[in-house]
Amino acid sequence: MQDEMNARELNERLDLIQSMIAEGRRSTESWGWVFLLWGVAYSVAIGWASWGGGLSVWGHSYVTLGSIRSGLAWPLTMMTAVVVTLAIGLRKGKPLAATSLVRSIVSIWIAVGVAMLVIFPAFGFTGRLEEHTFVALIAAMLGVANGASGMILRWKAQIACAIIWWVTSVAACFGSLAELTMVFLAAIFICQIVFGVYAMILESRRNRREIVHA
Amino acid sequence: MPELPELNPIIHGKLRLAVLSLLAGVEQAEFTWLRGKTGSTDGNLGAQLLKLEEAEYLAVEKKFVMRKPQSVYRITEKGRAALAEYVQALKMLLGSAINV
Repeated sequence: MQDEMNARELNERLDLIQSMIAEGRRSTESWGWVFLLWGVAYSVAIGWASWGGGLSVWGHSYVTLGSIRSGLAWPLTMMTAVVVTLAIGLRKGKPLAATSLVRSIVSIWIAVGVAMLVIFPAFGFTGRLEEHTFVALIAAMLGVANGASGMILRWKAQIACAIIWWVTSVAACFGSLAELTMVFLAAIFICQIVFGVYAMILESRRNRREIVHA
Repeated sequence: MPELPELNPIIHGKLRLAVLSLLAGVEQAEFTWLRGKTGSTDGNLGAQLLKLEEAEYLAVEKKFVMRKPQSVYRITEKGRAALAEYVQALKMLLGSAINV
């Protein structure tokens, strides 16, 4: 058979193999919406809990001591965000192709998410969580998740988000409650909302390219 | 002079080679995903997948998800080894072509 084939055809076959393997490994999933959704959820929770009380009344210590409205803000918003995330995830269905890369990144986010959903309600219930500690913990955890997936994907934008979260985590140990709120809101805006929109734009461009190629 | 290797005719077809290479990069994939990536028709893709399946290069799991039939394919160890051998054979042939 190879008698009939020339070097160009053989090279074409090699190129086809390489391009198809690379195509298969490329992620085809959309995650930008999750960042955006949770960025909005955090902002809503802060806004709701501090409504009428200023930027220094939004945290967990006020949940048990403060008004019922503030006490419900974080648990209700977070539970709603979990339900909406699961509902949209189920609606999107399972990915058409499974890769170990995607599975490893999803595993990191699920593990961090479960850790947050376990530890923060427990702290809130016992009233032992102070706002500075809350922001430092949540920022450090989000830094770990963003850092790990950014390094796996070699995605500089996500690694930058991880650094911003870690800086936020350190900054949360200092300053007043109002300053803490501003720092937290700024990190949420950059690393969740802006990054989420950016990821969605990239995903939309990739999907358009795939439709053109198909 | 060493004998030139034979290219595996089962893998050699362009669509079969594309499918096997795609599946080498993922754990498993649905028929619709493979169709989208290769740009082939249902009939042609189905026929080529069947040939690869008969050669035991692919394993298929057929199931119903929300009452819709779904075929999920994955490359077998035999398929992965055959693809690796095919690549080696291609490289040897290319080497000999350049030497000539």
